[in-house]
Amino acid sequence: MNKLALFFILALFKTGNLLSQQHIARQGQVTFFSYTSVENIEAKNNQVLSILDVEKKEMAVSMLMRAFVFKKDLMREHFNESYIESDLYPKATFEGHFNNLEGSLNQTSLMKGKITIHGITKNIDIKTTIKKTGESYAISGEFNLTVKDFNIKIPPILSSNIAKVVLVKFKFQYLGYESN
Amino acid sequence: MKVINLVYITAFTLFIHFNSNGQNLLDKLNKEFPKESINEIATFKTTRIGLSHSIETRKKGALEISMYNRYWNHKEGTTQSFLADEVNIRFGLDYAFSDSFTVGLGHSINDKITDGFVKYKFLRQKKNSKVKPFSMAFFQEISYINNNPNSGTYSFYNNNNSTSNSIYSFTSQLLIARKFNSKFSMQVSPTFITRNKDFANNQSRSQFAMGFGARYKVGGHVSIVSEYYSVFNPLKSTKTYNPFMVGVNWEVSHLLLQFQMTNARNFAKDVFITQTTNNFNFHDGNFHFGFNATFVLHTNKKKL
Repeated sequence: MNKLALFFILALFKTGNLLSQQHIARQGQVTFFSYTSVENIEAKNNQVLSILDVEKKEMAVSMLMRAFVFKKDLMREHFNESYIESDLYPKATFEGHFNNLEGSLNQTSLMKGKITIHGITKNIDIKTTIKKTGESYAISGEFNLTVKDFNIKIPPILSSNIAKVVLVKFKFQYLGYESN
Repeated sequence: MKVINLVYITAFTLFIHFNSNGQNLLDKLNKEFPKESINEIATFKTTRIGLSHSIETRKKGALEISMYNRYWNHKEGTTQSFLADEVNIRFGLDYAFSDSFTVGLGHSINDKITDGFVKYKFLRQKKNSKVKPFSMAFFQEISYINNNPNSGTYSFYNNNNSTSNSIYSFTSQLLIARKFNSKFSMQVSPTFITRNKDFANNQSRSQFAMGFGARYKVGGHVSIVSEYYSVFNPLKSTKTYNPFMVGVNWEVSHLLLQFQMTNARNFAKDVFITQTTNNFNFHDGNFHFGFNATFVLHTNKKKL
């Protein structure tokens, strides 16, 4: 009886302990920029979800493509309907593994991972900046994506309006994660 | 008994623990997304299906500058005009005062009809929702024509004993549309038309019609659209035909282009729905080529 109770408490404790190693960002920011001589396009998503597992040095990101806001509303419609096809591929996701994550100092770390946009998964290396303040983490960085890699079709007539390589910036502020 | 309970709880806790450990981080994230369903967008993309309005409204501050053209030939087919014998062009301006309220004005040069409309979208279809399976909008148009009996533009009306030549027509529509999937959308539009002037033959000034429209997306930027109006109590004095249109909508960034084949040559709703005097076929005089160009100007840009 006593042993069982101890086991039970231990099990609970262990679960709790493990969960505290995970941190979540619910209002992460992802911005992308397409600069061409004809037109500059910029869009921002303020509702990006991300989870960080310090122990495993892992990170995952998931976002709804529909949540990207553009300066011009018609662009948002075109983006969702004609380019990203958010009816078919509503989310973009990322899963990555940090090279090193000491969890104490401000540091830069290379992250290797897989990014999935428009139903296509690509390997990607991202240089990230990690800041730790108290119990919360902030991770930011930027990388380039080639539009063609993700089978996003740009009609020839508009090829001068949309950059072939798009710059993506991200910023996540993590808090302790409590499941349920 | 207590011990057995405890064993179960422990086993359960361990199981949960094991489960959360084996669980992918991404799966965990996907559970964090808010449950609320999102609005369906781009049911038709353009504010006109082709001939008449779709349930689409532009976002606040959008100004649509439009030029709609219809080209057709005279019946004889012996004319020597360049390209087409006749053209009717409507110049229009639409402004979105809010995301769901649009006001527009237009004037067409061949039939000299001036029209104005208000459109209010009061229901938006939700994605994967049984509660709001379609979008609805109310549309009201007023058109004005100065019907000079000497010019005889409009033989439909009873011009005897009338002091005023001004004809005001009022078209009310309820637009009901559903996006069935990312490619296919359909719209039905119950329509009521009335005017301030009597027809010949003492026919009622009011007419009822039902509009049907559909869109099928064939590529990222191209869709095939069709529209048809069925008039329930057509004019008795003159033989009229129901308007039909089939065409292609093409979106090029800020420019929305529509190419169409139709039998309707007017742009004011009351006129083309109830007073189209030729049927849809490819003979001269009946075949109309339509080309609509709309430029969308965003007068208030969002701050990111």
